[in-house]
Amino acid sequence: MIADRVSLELRNSLSELDTLGQILQQFGEELGLANKTLFQICLAMEEIVSNIISYGYTDDDVHWIKIALSYDKGIITIRLEDDGIPFNPLWAQEPDCECPLEKRKVGKLGIHLCKKVMDDMIYERFGNKNVLTLRKDIKDS
Amino acid sequence: MEVFEKRQDGICILGLLGRLDSNTSPEFEKKIFEVIDDGTKSVVVDFASLDYISSAGLRVLLKAAKELKRSEGKIVLCSMKDYIKEVFEIAGFVSLFPITSSVGDAVKEF
Repeated sequence: MIADRVSLELRNSLSELDTLGQILQQFGEELGLANKTLFQICLAMEEIVSNIISYGYTDDDVHWIKIALSYDKGIITIRLEDDGIPFNPLWAQEPDCECPLEKRKVGKLGIHLCKKVMDDMIYERFGNKNVLTLRKDIKDS
Repeated sequence: MEVFEKRQDGICILGLLGRLDSNTSPEFEKKIFEVIDDGTKSVVVDFASLDYISSAGLRVLLKAAKELKRSEGKIVLCSMKDYIKEVFEIAGFVSLFPITSSVGDAVKEF
């Protein structure tokens, strides 16, 4: 049977990205995702999770990021929940992708990449939680 | 991730193997800046065996390109998988880096 629903929790440590990568790889293989689709999902997830880990917390405590992946009728849905500072990535400033090398800023690209490779991104705030829902339509891939 | 270094006619060719992500980018940053700090002006980064890149990897390449530009050097990227090339397009990086389809063509850019 194909596991079309996976839940996991990651600690707020960048080393957890390896665990995330392995789980996404397995999820993608079981669904038979094309290399490009799986790559884009891994990319979007790394950008969001690394952002939460790097900028989401103002203390040194251990925090957990809850992730749920599901597949239904050609759509992959990813829900991420964290208790970091309120942050709506949809409001993040877009990087200037046109300016020449000398003026290009190093950074701010992650959320931009995530938005572009996913089909939908919804942000909600529930109590002290940020909840981000990402969707990817894989019907044509 | 592994980085393989090769020298050819004064050009340093760095071959990447594996993943260039938040965890592995610091190692690549260290390597490429060692090469630049040694005075190398011509750098090729070979993506043939690279399976994954995220903004952390793009950040290192941008930093290296800026540094090389300051010292009148140049960086050329080559042999990218299509889905990786697409990330460079989305990031607006294709106008910042010469990207060729093979190491042979990359070397001709200098």
